[in-house]
Amino acid sequence: MGKLKVKKSQKIACIVIVIVAIIFGCVGLYGVTSRTSQRGQALISEMRLQAILDTAGTGAVDAYVEAAKAEATAKVREEGGGMEEIREATAQAEEEARALAEEEGIGSVDLTSINTEPLGEALNVLAEAQEAYFAEEAAAQARYIEENEEAVVSEEASTEAADASAEEEMAVEGDAAMGDDMGGDMEMMEETVDLSGFEATEEMLALQEEVDQAYTALCEEIKLVFPALTDDIMEALKPTITSLVAQQGDTFETQYDRALAQSGMNPGATGVIMRQGKTLTTSAIGLLILALTVLFYTPLVKKLGFPRLLIGLFYILLCLLAFIYNLSLPGQISNTLVRLGMNGVLVLAMLPGIQCGISLNLGLPIGIIGGLLGGLLCIEFGLSGWGGFLFAIIVGLAISAVTGCLYGMLLNRLKGSEMSVTTYVGFSVVSLMCIAWLVLPFTSNIMKWPLGKGLRTTIGLQTTYLHLLNDFLSFDIFGVTIPTGLLLFFALCCFLVWLFMRSKTGIAMSAAGANPRFAEATGINVDKMRIIGTMLSTMLGAVGIIVYSQSFGFIQLYQAPRMMGFLAASAILLGGATTSRAKISHVVIGTFLFQGVLTLGMPVANAIVPQSTISEVFRIIISQGIILYALTKSGGDSRG
Amino acid sequence: MDKSKVRNFARNNIVTIMFIVLCAVCMVFSGYTPSYVIYELFGRLSRNMFIVLSLIIPIVAGMGINFAITAGAMAAQIACLLVLEWKIPGIGGFALAALMTVPLATLFGWLIGKLFNKMKGQEMIGGLVIGYFANGLYQLLFLFVFDNIIPINNPDLTIKGSTGIANTMDLSKEYGFASALDGLWRLPFHRAVLVFAAVIAVILVVGYMRSHQKNAKKLGIQIAALAVVAVIAQLPPVKELFSMVNIPMITFGLVALLCLFNIVIMRTKLGQQFRAVGQNGTVANASGINVDHVRVIATIFSMVLAGWGQLIFVQNMGAFQTYGAHGQVGLYAGAAILVGGASVVRATNAQALLGCVLFHLLFILAPAAGKNLFGDAAIGEYFRVFLCYGVIAVALVMHAWSAKAGTKKRAAK
Repeated sequence: MGKLKVKKSQKIACIVIVIVAIIFGCVGLYGVTSRTSQRGQALISEMRLQAILDTAGTGAVDAYVEAAKAEATAKVREEGGGMEEIREATAQAEEEARALAEEEGIGSVDLTSINTEPLGEALNVLAEAQEAYFAEEAAAQARYIEENEEAVVSEEASTEAADASAEEEMAVEGDAAMGDDMGGDMEMMEETVDLSGFEATEEMLALQEEVDQAYTALCEEIKLVFPALTDDIMEALKPTITSLVAQQGDTFETQYDRALAQSGMNPGATGVIMRQGKTLTTSAIGLLILALTVLFYTPLVKKLGFPRLLIGLFYILLCLLAFIYNLSLPGQISNTLVRLGMNGVLVLAMLPGIQCGISLNLGLPIGIIGGLLGGLLCIEFGLSGWGGFLFAIIVGLAISAVTGCLYGMLLNRLKGSEMSVTTYVGFSVVSLMCIAWLVLPFTSNIMKWPLGKGLRTTIGLQTTYLHLLNDFLSFDIFGVTIPTGLLLFFALCCFLVWLFMRSKTGIAMSAAGANPRFAEATGINVDKMRIIGTMLSTMLGAVGIIVYSQSFGFIQLYQAPRMMGFLAASAILLGGATTSRAKISHVVIGTFLFQGVLTLGMPVANAIVPQSTISEVFRIIISQGIILYALTKSGGDSRG
Repeated sequence: MDKSKVRNFARNNIVTIMFIVLCAVCMVFSGYTPSYVIYELFGRLSRNMFIVLSLIIPIVAGMGINFAITAGAMAAQIACLLVLEWKIPGIGGFALAALMTVPLATLFGWLIGKLFNKMKGQEMIGGLVIGYFANGLYQLLFLFVFDNIIPINNPDLTIKGSTGIANTMDLSKEYGFASALDGLWRLPFHRAVLVFAAVIAVILVVGYMRSHQKNAKKLGIQIAALAVVAVIAQLPPVKELFSMVNIPMITFGLVALLCLFNIVIMRTKLGQQFRAVGQNGTVANASGINVDHVRVIATIFSMVLAGWGQLIFVQNMGAFQTYGAHGQVGLYAGAAILVGGASVVRATNAQALLGCVLFHLLFILAPAAGKNLFGDAAIGEYFRVFLCYGVIAVALVMHAWSAKAGTKKRAAK
């Protein structure tokens, strides 16, 4: 770093960004601190008050109008008029009453003209009571979800069967939806628990009582302002007013926005700064990071490579956005950890392939098929728990060892053009297996279609090894669930591969991959080493899919494995590997970054553009773009 | 000597022979009548041939099968969307779409050509990845740019209740250009043969007049062959066989023109450069050809032609899946040309046409045959998908083998 060369333009850009960041940060910090200060509190409670009084005022006018209408009706009745006349009279009365109300100012009130103190106090009591109630409700619901999770999982399985028949139809249409099945296969199962069976707890009822009391007290105060209000109207207005004061999962921003929208007050500059305080502070942090990146651009690009830098920055941006949109970070981190573990082994499978010189093993589906067969046999024989898991792994390893060996022998005959051949061999094996899934003589009812031939597209693992690794020794810390078993298994695999790479064979293999001619000259059997590397890669693919499916909850057949090789390849490349060199650290960093972007990307994208598939689109662009980038770096000369 | 020739021929054309056998087997088991199969086949040929022919130039230029023609198809679909938005019907709309495809496809081709130059020797896998990558950008464009940033006023084109372009583009509305090209001039098969025979005869005669050798014997044989074909097509049994076929003359005329173009361009200086670059980049570079530039041009040609091919496809279909229609273009076209006996370094018009016929024949027959043989149409479906990938895999493996054998032989010498 001693001879850091920074261009003038870089310096200027950096200084500009830093200045903007400092301004943002100062303003934002001021906004955030003023939220808890006297003035900020006063502003928001005033706004809230105005909003409530407006609501109550509308109620008062309605009451006044209602009374006028009743009077008019009674009058017409007395005169013996028919329905038509009554309608006319009431319409006229309403119009008059409204005009009168406006004139006399029944529905509107000026805050300065009345004593707001007792009102404000009553309101604060209500707000506190409601907040306590909502906190209790959220906690109770969380407990309920935890208790009922098991039941829900089995319910999901039954709905899955119905979904699956629709999926099958799509599969039969050939593979017209290439983009779709790329998107679908990495999708995380969102566990939504049905809350219909949820009942209020004792504590909640007690708190509800308090809320009611506070509301009654508030009503008394409001009635002082609007004498026209009756108890009935206040009761009818209750949901509106209470929802104005506080809602479940409220934050400062949502409260502020609601109060502002309802009261129609002009909050002034302080209000706006207060509202945007968090956003501004967060953007200041983002800008500072950007400034640092601009300053150290050259060494960073040199060290990380352009795409990794870009994706890294993108990840930081997503984190900041998640913070701004108040997404639960612990939940996202848990998800990322689970995804790291479940995809890690698949990504690790790329490593021996790259090291032994066959470049990216895009034929990974060949290994995946072995793992799938292992899982299916496990279900077929009715094994479960650790025994079943081990059995699946052993069978998967055995099958993929054989296929990997044959595959390696094939690749030895096509040195130089492995990548395109592996891709298409992988694709054709996947579609060949599609036929196999239809005709293989499995008998277990879990796997077969209730009607018709062949296996389901997705097969639930409830009876075998669902979440076996995820739940092993898992614990919660700061709200983050650590899937200990899963991470340990991934670490074990990494360690074994690391050990192997340091063994004599492993070093010979790396040498054969790095420089085949030199390796040949030193007496290494290059062909044999390539076969070993391919076999290892294929076998890791088999283990990888078993780990993946135990975490995912389902075994996916038919077209699902086709693009997995691409996803694994993009993850390891993102970690910093090239098409000819890779390390364990690349696997871990790459998987974490890739999965991190994916897990955070979905909720953030949904917060920005609700119900969009934009995160899917970005997944495709990122994963394919990174492979493309690696190809442009690798090709051009010797290879091919 | 003869035996080894036969063996060589069989080895070089193993994929084609295999496919002919497969087609024959499937024909027997499908239970379709020949005239129905022929009807279906001509329908498929009219919409698919053009795209397959667009693959020839990059193969000659040594870039293998250009799987990135997916991007060319996307260019066509963007043009298509705009024409539908402007509600220009009929052949005018088609012509405008074709015109707009050119700059778009040229831009894509130029960018992709640049990328290909950075990954020489890996163009095929690179093209595949580019196809997927471009698909991501395409979705971004159609889901979030159109209808959000660029307003789309035609309500039929957008997703109802949300933003973005609808899943299906319907060209058969009154403002669409469904069958704009096909519907211009249709003839029954036997008449169409007469017309094509006459046109080809004229071209041959003109060629004879302009050539220096004046090989009258050759010309005579060619014209006689044409006459025989034309007469055979008029025979009642043949007429009966092709009775359901109604040839869209302009579409097939364009295919014929493209074949002619592929032949003619190879005789120009540019064509010679393609060939030189394809045979040996280093030598071509040494002889003063700007290799990278020539490769970019080849890619652009392929992209524009593929874009037009996709337009022909969609106007024939009358509707297309906005997010799926382009996905398999590269795969199907690549598989088709390989089935015809082309390799990743050598391809001709005849191979492309033959491959197209065989490939689509199997596409028609496989599901029915699968159903009759195994009692499940899905098996036939999966089988043909397997064949698509399998054919490409086999072709790539064979090419790698023969290339390796070639270098070994050279090394031995």
